Amino acid sequence: MIISVNWLKKFTNIDVTIDELATLIGSRLVEIEEVIDLGKKYQGIIVSKVVECEKLEGSDHLNVTKIDDGGRAVDVERDENGLVQVVCGAPNVRAGMLVAWLPPNSTVPESFNDKEPFVLGARKLRGVMSNGMLASAKELDLFEDHTGILEVDADAAPGSDFAEVYELNDYLLDIENKSLTHRPDTFGIVGFAREVAAIQGNAFHTPDWLNQLQPHLDVQDAIEAPSVTIDDPALSDRYQAIILNGASGAAQSPIHIQSYLARVGVRPINAIVDVTNYLMMLTGQPLHAFDYDKVIAVAGGRADIHVRAGHDKETLELLDGRTIELTSEDIVIASGDTAIGLAGAMGGASTLIDNNTKNIILESATFNLYNLRATQMRHGIFSEAITRFTKGQPAELTAPVLAEAARLMGEYADAQVVTNVAEAYPGEKNPQQIVLSTKTINDTLGSKFMSADVIDTLHNVEFSTELVDDFTVKTVAPYWRADIHIAEDIIEEVGRLNGFDTIEPTLPLRDFTAVHPAEFDTLRAQIRKSLVRAGANEVLTYSFVHGEVLKKAGQDVENSYRITNSISPDLQYYRQTLTPSLLGLIYANVKQGYDQFAIFEVNKTHPKQHGLTDENVPEEVDMIALTVTSKKVKNGSAYYDAKKMLDYLGVSLGLDLHYSPIDADPNYAVSAPFEYRRAALVTDRKTDTFIGIVGEYKKSVSRAFKLPEHTAGFEIGTLALYQAVTKLTSDYMPLSRYPGTERDICFQVNQSINYGDIVACAEAVLQDSNLETTITPIDIYQAENSNTKNVTIRIKLTAHDRTLTGDEIAVVMQRVVLAAVERLRATIV
Amino acid sequence: MTNIDELRADLLARITQSNDPRSILKADEIKQLYTVIPTLDPSERGSYGKAVNALKVVLEAAVVERESTLEDSTVVPLDVTAPWDVNATALQLLSTEQGTQHPLTRELENVIDIFTRMGFEAIESRQIDDDHHMFGALNFPENHPARDGYDTFRTEEGFIPPAHTSTMQHRILKAGKAKLEAGGNIAAVSYGRVFRNEDVDATHEHTFYQCEGIFVSSDATLGQMLGTLRSFFEVYYGQKLKIKTQPAYFPFVEPGLEFAIEKPAALGGKPGDWLEMLGCGMIHPNVLRAADIDPEKYRGFAWGGGIERLVMLKYGIEDLRHFESGKLQFLRKFNS
Repeated sequence: MIISVNWLKKFTNIDVTIDELATLIGSRLVEIEEVIDLGKKYQGIIVSKVVECEKLEGSDHLNVTKIDDGGRAVDVERDENGLVQVVCGAPNVRAGMLVAWLPPNSTVPESFNDKEPFVLGARKLRGVMSNGMLASAKELDLFEDHTGILEVDADAAPGSDFAEVYELNDYLLDIENKSLTHRPDTFGIVGFAREVAAIQGNAFHTPDWLNQLQPHLDVQDAIEAPSVTIDDPALSDRYQAIILNGASGAAQSPIHIQSYLARVGVRPINAIVDVTNYLMMLTGQPLHAFDYDKVIAVAGGRADIHVRAGHDKETLELLDGRTIELTSEDIVIASGDTAIGLAGAMGGASTLIDNNTKNIILESATFNLYNLRATQMRHGIFSEAITRFTKGQPAELTAPVLAEAARLMGEYADAQVVTNVAEAYPGEKNPQQIVLSTKTINDTLGSKFMSADVIDTLHNVEFSTELVDDFTVKTVAPYWRADIHIAEDIIEEVGRLNGFDTIEPTLPLRDFTAVHPAEFDTLRAQIRKSLVRAGANEVLTYSFVHGEVLKKAGQDVENSYRITNSISPDLQYYRQTLTPSLLGLIYANVKQGYDQFAIFEVNKTHPKQHGLTDENVPEEVDMIALTVTSKKVKNGSAYYDAKKMLDYLGVSLGLDLHYSPIDADPNYAVSAPFEYRRAALVTDRKTDTFIGIVGEYKKSVSRAFKLPEHTAGFEIGTLALYQAVTKLTSDYMPLSRYPGTERDICFQVNQSINYGDIVACAEAVLQDSNLETTITPIDIYQAENSNTKNVTIRIKLTAHDRTLTGDEIAVVMQRVVLAAVERLRATIV
Repeated sequence: MTNIDELRADLLARITQSNDPRSILKADEIKQLYTVIPTLDPSERGSYGKAVNALKVVLEAAVVERESTLEDSTVVPLDVTAPWDVNATALQLLSTEQGTQHPLTRELENVIDIFTRMGFEAIESRQIDDDHHMFGALNFPENHPARDGYDTFRTEEGFIPPAHTSTMQHRILKAGKAKLEAGGNIAAVSYGRVFRNEDVDATHEHTFYQCEGIFVSSDATLGQMLGTLRSFFEVYYGQKLKIKTQPAYFPFVEPGLEFAIEKPAALGGKPGDWLEMLGCGMIHPNVLRAADIDPEKYRGFAWGGGIERLVMLKYGIEDLRHFESGKLQFLRKFNS
């Protein structure tokens, strides 16, 4: 929204510089995105009088003029009478006309923001000297006008500064609308000026006509007023209409009106339309004019206006030429039963004002903002009017604005009001009284206002206010403050208008009770740090994935919540697990030249199969996934690289992870990408907690994500890990004072025997030995084409009460051997 | 036609037996089908061509299936219990120097650590929620224009990927009510991912991180809110800071403000440079009431701001898109 500072000044004093004003508005009203110095664009333009005007010989359209600039321009060639010669091609140029002259060295305003602005000079046209130019409204960047040069309509002497005559030495404030969503009053210049007065500490006085809630209308030769019906009071609080005749569709509004409209971004059209727009920009109340004769023609000769919901399948041609299909959420204006306008949004083509219009119906109304908002979205209408209507303009405002519109249309378009106001007003409300104490204000803000400060502040923005007692204020907001309902609204007004920045920052008091960091967060931080130490890189990837990513990973899209309004198919499904997102990153990084790396993510997943929580929202599943890949360095299968990292993570958290083979593809979202024959289920042995899965990926997955052959990873549940870690008890064992002894032992077993089976077998024996024992792997060897493998482990035995003798050790080792021979058919090598 | 049907049965049988099923797609019998076309009556050519194409589709599908069966049968099971592979040597982890934590999670840990020390409990925000928590309980009536500013995604079921961490506010208030009524305060931060349905460029992301704070007590003031926020940023930047505010409208607070700090010297700030850090305000009575907390007895303040901005300012990161790009080139810059 653009606010003109000069327009504000018509309603309030501004005693500060533009920079100070912008800062003040920023801290006490709304963010200003940009301050535009409009005056720069109009520097040096001189109001001049055309004294002589003659056809240029040999040209069919050029005239040679002599103009009187009051002698203002310097360094310009003048004749003996001090007049300046300018050649002009406009059809409307004539002697006696007052014009805007752009002297040499001035810039054409229309080109002001161009890369190379057009700077005028003195040059010969067809051999005749021409100094600068006489400008059209378009060249002055005011509005489109094809009739020729602009005729200055103000009472100004030649030599006057053009910018001053039309108050173009102005600053424009580009306002960030969003934070005024709740303030319909500030969408009009008067309302904005009220705020500007009050934040400077000044009292504002609303123009009298805006305070006339039952204004007098000068009705001549009255005819019957139209009938107005609001069919459903939920659609509109108030609808008013009057009929004017004699309106000239061709009449133009004065240039100062047009120039104010143009500078705030509204295109001037004709006096009728300009008046409605001018009042809308001034007050925030949109108006709409219909061609009366067209309206009654639709209803068989009667002016019978209805505000109603759209019917199903009903269509309406809008004035922009589009035909739209209505729904019952749209509000329409109907003549009889025929829709003639989309209420609050856009008029219909059938009742459009044109150059032949004689009589108009002028509407001033409010509509249900929620319906209008839906209409706005559905039909893509973003006009100045609907922007204001959807903020919820107060119903009281329709009357004074309608009366002022009638007056201005009389003045600028010779229109005459011929009916009294026709009205339906189902939404009349009583003013609301709010009583609150100064103490409540200060207790909420942490401020030190006196009751007198509160009264003054509220008076400045025209709240009617009185003291109930020394410390209690009773106040009623003016009708235009539809946003004021509760004490907090008054507290905000007092704080804001005096400046929140004037409130002393303090700290709440608290006792020394320590706040515990959330244990789950602490664990996740530990996990991250552990995996980082293991050389992995943490990534964050989107919570949404493309359906193809799910399919590539072997997951069922039906198990994902689907986003219906996604900007891109890449973000269509909630992910079920983290692994597919990681797999999607491998190829690009390998291509970037990273040969060996591991990436991991700690995040939430949302598989649909987990159902809903007690609050009826989807369960979120916290997961940790890691993928490790290597293009060059290989030492056996990739599975073991992933397992190594998971083992490291487990150890760093105090867990003892156990890996069991998988018999058949488990068909879960988590296991879907993994090749079950080269993957393991992971359990913590200390707490018997199932954690997740580690393994290589299916060949189809590997191919779909273009993974290097040597790639594997894991995906584990963070909550499971947390539950395991919280269950841990200390397994610390006092140190032995006696040395331990190590023995290596090599078993030859059938290749189907697992390493874990051998360790389990040895452990079972050692458990009964009353010794502290550890088993470490040393070597796993299998000769080519052999169906047996040699597994060497190192067993360390320590007693806590003596040094073990060689015989004792031999006995224990012998029992281990016997067990292995018996249970695993091992031979000792 | 019989010819084609017979051929189909024959070729399908061969494919299910073959170790190189794809070679069967190039069989002479198929090529010969095409040589027949010119000899046919023109009226028959169309339907014949269609039948040949249908045959090729069926065969291709069979080949893909057979290939996958073959591939599956070549999978060699591993001894998943072993510490390393057969004939391999003991494995090493990757080099610690190349390991990195993501700058966003690192900064979140830092931010949460400061708030924890200030007395705030931390709760992670949800990544999927409902209209009630996202809007309804936060004083956003149905169809309210203020909802437009959030550009929310929706799922088929009507769930919402939250557009702000305030989606946790109602839960925190409900959970803290008992403590409040026992004479304590509610002091919590919620942090996590939020989502806006907008196009991505160097300064816009549809996915980003926020941290939200809530404080409710019997005597909370707006002055305390300003003091708390200033204190946080002074600890975060390790220096005294000037602050300023700007009125703003969020339906769940009243008054509502935007909060800015003077750009710290550490970030190359000069006096008069301001950084808008977050939105904040006194919790709207309707929001307290929705959690069954009596707004006549208790008041609170809340704030929420983005995490990416803190990280970008700290390191001078030029493009928001790096964060979720998964590029090692970017991630490995944070190994200190």
